[in-house]
Amino acid sequence: MLEPIKIPAQEDTPSVVLDKENQLFEIGHRSLPENAIAFYEPIINWLTEYSKNPLPKTVFNFKLEYFNTASAKQLAKVLLLLQELAKNNDVLIRWHYLKDDTDMYASGVRFSKLLKIPFEFIEM
Amino acid sequence: MTGNLSLDFVKQLFFIMQDHHLGYIYKGIFTQEVTDTILSLTENKLEKQEESSKLKKRVYNILVEALQNVTRHQASNIKPNPQLDSLFLIQKMNNRYVITTGNIAPNKNIPYLQTLIDKINALSKDELKEYYKTVLEEGSISDKGGAGLGLIDIARKAGNKLIYKFVPLNDELSYFYLCTVPVLEDDVPKGSVGISEFHFVEKIHEILNRENLSIINNGPFNQESLLILLNSLEGQMVGSISYKKKVFYIVVEMLQNIIKHGYIPNDYDQHVVPGIFLLGFTDNFYRILTGNFIENEQLVSLKKKIDKVNELTKEEIDEYYNESLFNFEGSNSKKTGLGMIDIRLKSGFPVQYDILPINNHYSFLSLQSLITVE
Repeated sequence: MLEPIKIPAQEDTPSVVLDKENQLFEIGHRSLPENAIAFYEPIINWLTEYSKNPLPKTVFNFKLEYFNTASAKQLAKVLLLLQELAKNNDVLIRWHYLKDDTDMYASGVRFSKLLKIPFEFIEM
Repeated sequence: MTGNLSLDFVKQLFFIMQDHHLGYIYKGIFTQEVTDTILSLTENKLEKQEESSKLKKRVYNILVEALQNVTRHQASNIKPNPQLDSLFLIQKMNNRYVITTGNIAPNKNIPYLQTLIDKINALSKDELKEYYKTVLEEGSISDKGGAGLGLIDIARKAGNKLIYKFVPLNDELSYFYLCTVPVLEDDVPKGSVGISEFHFVEKIHEILNRENLSIINNGPFNQESLLILLNSLEGQMVGSISYKKKVFYIVVEMLQNIIKHGYIPNDYDQHVVPGIFLLGFTDNFYRILTGNFIENEQLVSLKKKIDKVNELTKEEIDEYYNESLFNFEGSNSKKTGLGMIDIRLKSGFPVQYDILPINNHYSFLSLQSLITVE
């Protein structure tokens, strides 16, 4: 069984939960690390492993309040992996955004337009 | 090789601040939030510097008093006039902190203030303590009697003389600069800072007024100082939530750009990136500015990148953003390429820049991003 990843939020890095057993997939809070590539690397590795033997349905929750452009690229990588997974599996992206946060909503819309995976938009 | 406007003052301010070890400047309306932010910023710096706790406490206490003084005597904001804004600067020189404040004073009060400060400066420590008590008691009888109590208190806590200067503004008002250098009992003051040294404060003040700048943070920058700066901005910015958010987005990208690409000349601390951050206003815009060193060999590609994002229409930038978002080529290098596009996108205006050569090896780069006042 794939070991779950649970990272609590820091001032500049997001909270991350990747837990296959409990069917929890979530990235939340703020993401503006100095080295986004290094922070997201274990997450991307985990998802690559997970994709080899995934659950029948994967619901991935993004609950971000802010991310910088370096993180945007890493989130794009995460979403590309999920798009790949969606080819043969059921995948849903739940994009949560704070009420009135047009920037975060627009970011989700941008990703949804560029990718072929179902997005659901949820106001936090 | 200059960009589309002169941002020479950014470089000028950076070097004045470097020369005088100035860390932070605020000019504007002093509210409780602004005061709290300045206090926590300084506290943070004091923590880092591992000063003796006695000096820390002393500096902190004087800051509280000095900021209250400035707040009390600032121009009423019925008719906001940036020229009349209060001012705060903090320097660290040879293990001493130099705290300078500025505020307007009615010309008719100047003789009283002058006499008072000269008297304070002539008194011994014990005499000052006595005098403080006397004025405090008088103050409880009449409102007028308590005037100057703040100044006496600052002098008492500083253990050093007050340095001051009045600069006439018009028939009614002058600008009152006050400077204190807190010292400990066992630290014999090596002569006070001369009034002539106010010269640079006036020079800075003049630039701040001319360019309508409000907040200046002299780096050096790393991720840690970026986070401290972001927190402090929250308390100091006046404006709507959406404006504050825009500033937040742009500041992160501009400063992380400096942290990643800024050049560190040999005579600077090699662990942090030297640079300056400024926030101000123009008639209809908020202006966010940064300044940092950059290697000359990077100039061509940087110029090309900025010119490109500036030329694009809103739709084209959007498209360009999407392209770059999924372009992981060279993703192991430090460049994301997305930062400048995002700054342009969030601001809605061209990114302005000014490149001023320092020598054959590196230059000083100033960037400005504008946001419309809503």
